[in-house]
Amino acid sequence: MNGLLIPQPIRIAELYEDGEDSRHFTFEPVGDTSIQQAKPGQFFNLTVPGHGEAAFTYLSLPDSDGRCSALIRKVGDLTSALFERSKGDLLGYRGPFGQGIWPLDQLKGKRVLVLAGGCGLAPLASIIEALLADNETQLGLIYGSRDPANQNLERERAAWHKQLPIIEAFDLPAAGTKYIGTPLNHIDAILAQLGGEPEAVLTCGPEVMMNAAADLFIKRGLSGDNIWLALERRMHCGVGLCGHCYLGSSYVCVDGPVYSWNELTRLRGTTTAT
Amino acid sequence: MRAYLLEDIPSLLTHLGKDRQLFAPQHIEDGDLHWLPADAASEPALDSKPLLPLSSPKAFFFAERETLFRFDGSNFIETLPEVEPQALFGVRSCDLCAITYQDQFFKQDPYYQARRQATLLIGLDCLEPCDGGFCPTVDAGPFVREGMADLILQHHEQGWLLIAASDKGKKSIDGLPLPPAPSDWQVQRERHEHEIAARFPDATHIEAGVQFLNSGEVAATTWEAMGLQCLSCSGCTSLCPSCSCFATFEHPTEEADNGFERERCWDSCLYEAFQREASGHNPGAKAGARVERFWFHKFSDDYTAEFGRYGCVGCGRCERICPGVIGVHSVMKRISAQS
Amino acid sequence: MHKETKHTTKVVNSICPYCGVGCGIGLQVCGEQVIGVEPQRNHPVSQGKLCAKGWSTAFALDPKDRITTPLIKENGQFRPASWDEAYSVIIEAFTAAIEEKGPDGLGIIACARATNEDCYAAQKFARAALGTNNVDHCARICHSPSVAGLRQTLGSGAMTNSIDDIEQADLIVIWGADPTENHSVLGGRIMAAKLAGAKLLVVDPRQTRLAKMADVHLQPRLGTNVALSNGLLHILFKQGWEAKAFLEQRCENLEALKTKVQDYPPEKIEAITGVPAAQLEAAARLYHQAERALLAYGMGITQYSNGTNNVIAISNLTLATGQIGRKGTGINPLRGQNNVQGACDMGALPDVYPGYQEVEDPASNSKFSKAWGKALPGTKGLTSLGMAKAALNNDLRCMMIMGEDPVVTDPDQNEVRRSLQALDLLVVIELVMTETAKLADVILPAAAFAEKDGTFTNCERRVQRVRAAVPPPGEAKSDWKILGELAELLGYKGMAWPNAEAIFNELAALTPIYGGMDYQHLDKHYGLQWPCNEQNPAGTTLLHTEQFTRGKGQLIPVDHTDPAEMPDTDYPLFLTTTRLHFHYGCGSMTRKSPLLERETPNGVLFIHPSDASPLGIRQGSPVRISSRRGEVETRAVLSEELPEGTVAMPYHFKEAPSNQVTNNAQDPVTKMPELKACAVRVEVI
Repeated sequence: MNGLLIPQPIRIAELYEDGEDSRHFTFEPVGDTSIQQAKPGQFFNLTVPGHGEAAFTYLSLPDSDGRCSALIRKVGDLTSALFERSKGDLLGYRGPFGQGIWPLDQLKGKRVLVLAGGCGLAPLASIIEALLADNETQLGLIYGSRDPANQNLERERAAWHKQLPIIEAFDLPAAGTKYIGTPLNHIDAILAQLGGEPEAVLTCGPEVMMNAAADLFIKRGLSGDNIWLALERRMHCGVGLCGHCYLGSSYVCVDGPVYSWNELTRLRGTTTAT
Repeated sequence: MRAYLLEDIPSLLTHLGKDRQLFAPQHIEDGDLHWLPADAASEPALDSKPLLPLSSPKAFFFAERETLFRFDGSNFIETLPEVEPQALFGVRSCDLCAITYQDQFFKQDPYYQARRQATLLIGLDCLEPCDGGFCPTVDAGPFVREGMADLILQHHEQGWLLIAASDKGKKSIDGLPLPPAPSDWQVQRERHEHEIAARFPDATHIEAGVQFLNSGEVAATTWEAMGLQCLSCSGCTSLCPSCSCFATFEHPTEEADNGFERERCWDSCLYEAFQREASGHNPGAKAGARVERFWFHKFSDDYTAEFGRYGCVGCGRCERICPGVIGVHSVMKRISAQS
Repeated sequence: MHKETKHTTKVVNSICPYCGVGCGIGLQVCGEQVIGVEPQRNHPVSQGKLCAKGWSTAFALDPKDRITTPLIKENGQFRPASWDEAYSVIIEAFTAAIEEKGPDGLGIIACARATNEDCYAAQKFARAALGTNNVDHCARICHSPSVAGLRQTLGSGAMTNSIDDIEQADLIVIWGADPTENHSVLGGRIMAAKLAGAKLLVVDPRQTRLAKMADVHLQPRLGTNVALSNGLLHILFKQGWEAKAFLEQRCENLEALKTKVQDYPPEKIEAITGVPAAQLEAAARLYHQAERALLAYGMGITQYSNGTNNVIAISNLTLATGQIGRKGTGINPLRGQNNVQGACDMGALPDVYPGYQEVEDPASNSKFSKAWGKALPGTKGLTSLGMAKAALNNDLRCMMIMGEDPVVTDPDQNEVRRSLQALDLLVVIELVMTETAKLADVILPAAAFAEKDGTFTNCERRVQRVRAAVPPPGEAKSDWKILGELAELLGYKGMAWPNAEAIFNELAALTPIYGGMDYQHLDKHYGLQWPCNEQNPAGTTLLHTEQFTRGKGQLIPVDHTDPAEMPDTDYPLFLTTTRLHFHYGCGSMTRKSPLLERETPNGVLFIHPSDASPLGIRQGSPVRISSRRGEVETRAVLSEELPEGTVAMPYHFKEAPSNQVTNNAQDPVTKMPELKACAVRVEVI
């Protein structure tokens, strides 16, 4: 078992393009590396030798062989370096981190709306899969992207279209697209397909969008305890030491990255300055 | 705890120095004070009126910069510090409270703990208020608290009172011929501390500031005005003995084609890019918010459950070294004046 | 696997190597490495403070990336060489150049960040060993107009007061500078003074931090300083608010100035500068109400093709208000580099010897010729920009650049590159492989500030001791030692000093303003401010108390002139250059800190949203900035702190070099290039 801050070697098992500047990676352990099980909503830290370490949410959770996957978008130095790597290349892994507090038990049997924006769909994939496995849960997904080229999780969505109502919205009009605008412009439409007001909302995407989504559902009468946001933060250590992911008195890497709207509001309220 | 009378410091230095590297605050030519290696011939600064070295002993445990691991092309190899037994001689109560705080924060950190376990702490009671300190207000002094040092020294009419404050401390003075302290030493010490605490300058601005901070009554505009003054110099976070944030970074090594070392170094939440993500999203973009959060971390009740105290130990260093005039006294005065 | 634990085993007090404030800094040493820093609690200038750059010093001194042996370029690649080999390449080329072009076929660029001892050695090398006055340094592109302008008006170009006059002033005027970004510890003292009740007047097109705190903030258009100053004088004279007695007793040429500024009424000022009349009057009123007004200024005054006139204009204002010669007043150029004041004092300039004694003055020539045992050249030499032009004309064949990176820091980068590439031999003395070093034929490894003894002179004329804390890495040497060895090989024996102190003693004997100084005295007193001589053995905190260096203060009427290149239809935006707090100069030291490097924004074109939006530019958009000189690609950062119509770029980043596009149109007096204003076009990529 490696030290607290020490990665274990893994390698790229598979990769394929999955949206503009986005790639689906599958990782597998190398040698003695042991990859622990993880819960939906947890994340791991990936080291690209010489380019640092960054946090990514599991797309598919580690299986019995320790294989897991992530949908990664190229945005900076580390991800650019990762995109130059090929199948078989050695990387470093630390995880799982975070609480994975997608409240599975609270959600089962309920009417749940999943609201994703941009690269926020991937972090929601594991909870979507977990809820789909429960026949009692009514699940609906609304997913916004800039345009069709920017969408991710093509294979997953293809499968999901057969299992739950999905609306895909686009900022920019493109041929054949029906839903223009952000996901928040089409709430009534998805709820009509879902069969009514949601009892829980799970959201991930740009923070501005998530905040607006929460506000919208608060106004519609949903309790802030039933609205869940998956946050993104700059992270280094993943274990609540380096301080970068602070959110009030909480560290997103330890207590999050998923927070209820009420808890998030309380933590954010500790800073008033803008 | 058992207490003894010590006649002279050099004999204690010699005894402790037999199997340990000693460090103590010492003066250099310009009169300033620094933590430096010591031996029996050294003159540690053990003045009754304390002058705190600007650099606290924090770096002895939470290294300012160190390698975490190296990658040799196939494996990630942890690089724990090689530590020789050491003793920090003459640590003031405020700094000891901060060490205790960091002991808790870094309890799982193997680098910190390797150095900490190898260290004997010899505390020193302050017999006068220092310039700018307010330890009594935050329960961090002027006398060393139980459980925070292995040995405690205090100036005494007959030389020094030497308290064996832990098993490790007791063991460390085995073999040193020491007469026992007067039997009422504990009562005397408690009374003495009250007297000295009462001599500290008025700190109502600190108490009031802490209260307003915790009740959420400080206006956003107050923080924004103070944020304007913050130059993000990182002086406060470097010298604050309870600050613990760090950054990680890498550089290639010649060990393999893609060999590298990952290091960590002290970081500062006052830097603009401290929370900036690759996407550009930056929850800490505004200086006022960063300044506010720093003080929240030092004085919020939200942390006391975990640490048993505030992060601030009343050492006053931040006020001394802040070029923007927003150290603890300035900030607390501003907050309590506004509210 | 275990690694050695590092502890501070000694603390060596020195002076911060970055800006001209000259903060005391304690270098924490373990073995042969500086592992950290701490502020000097008792230092009279820094008073226990440091800025982010100062705090990062240990990273800047990281042995990684240091050049540790001489390097010779062969087939486009550098290879290590011995000192002997490197020296013989240099001597051969120098000798050939002298044979063909005479000594003026060579040029030296000294270093405003090296020590006084290094700079003294550099100009002695040029003059005595080589026989040329072609020696210059980056003050050319920074405060050369201050030197030229204030010498005309006051007789001396240095800061007239001291840093601790800040706390004595009831009005602080900051003109064309952002001291909280660049002279941060000094800027902090200004903020503290403001909070303690002083009034603050800021003149800057941008909304800087101090502008936000100011009582009055004037935002003139780029290049309108003269009009603004004349406009203020117009109001002061009209209201009878000038310092009549002072002007009568201590100044000359008042009538000419009064006549000139009659042509600058508030409405005309508003038209030229964009500053509304009411604001101008508010500023004039602040001056009127001030008992003690301290003026500090920077590149927003000097880096113009009329930089000297800008300095004269604010000197006129200072004299007319009588705000000089007393505590809490003065005209105070904020010298940028840690030792640019020293480099000027040491005569690393084409027209003066150490102590500003003129090269073309026969008496000075004779004095130095005698002292150095060699007949010295009698005509002044070329400035740095003159050397660049001479290189392109093949008149200058060899150049030696010490610790400066003109490829990144000088205007019109393409021309700088061409001029350096035109040389027969370029020698660079450096710590790390800068962009300029990459063009060298020979690189010689230099010792950093923490690796040598010497002195720096800060902006308030304070000469302070710099102390070696660790040995130089590998074979690196102090610049003065390198120059001494080269001089010897050229047959000149007068530079074989055993140590830095010997150099200081020599220069003090020849430099009257340093005459009373020696290392022991400097050690005892946290340095001494020149003039330090028999009359002022403890140095001088305040200049021009009874009379000006030239006798009476001269008022010189000057007129507004536009910058050489104004925006037009092809290039419709004004570009100005700025500095960021986190980086210093070309970034060769600060960019070694991962924390400071992280602070670097992901783009360096700062643009107002109103200018950005019609161009389709959003936050982070990739953009191309082009001018008549060249183009740069970077990303946009939206900023409401800029005036509309003006964009800004810092110059620290070699990958997005603002000097691709800047203009080298020059101030006729000083050859200062107009770094602060040129016309550009911006488009989204």
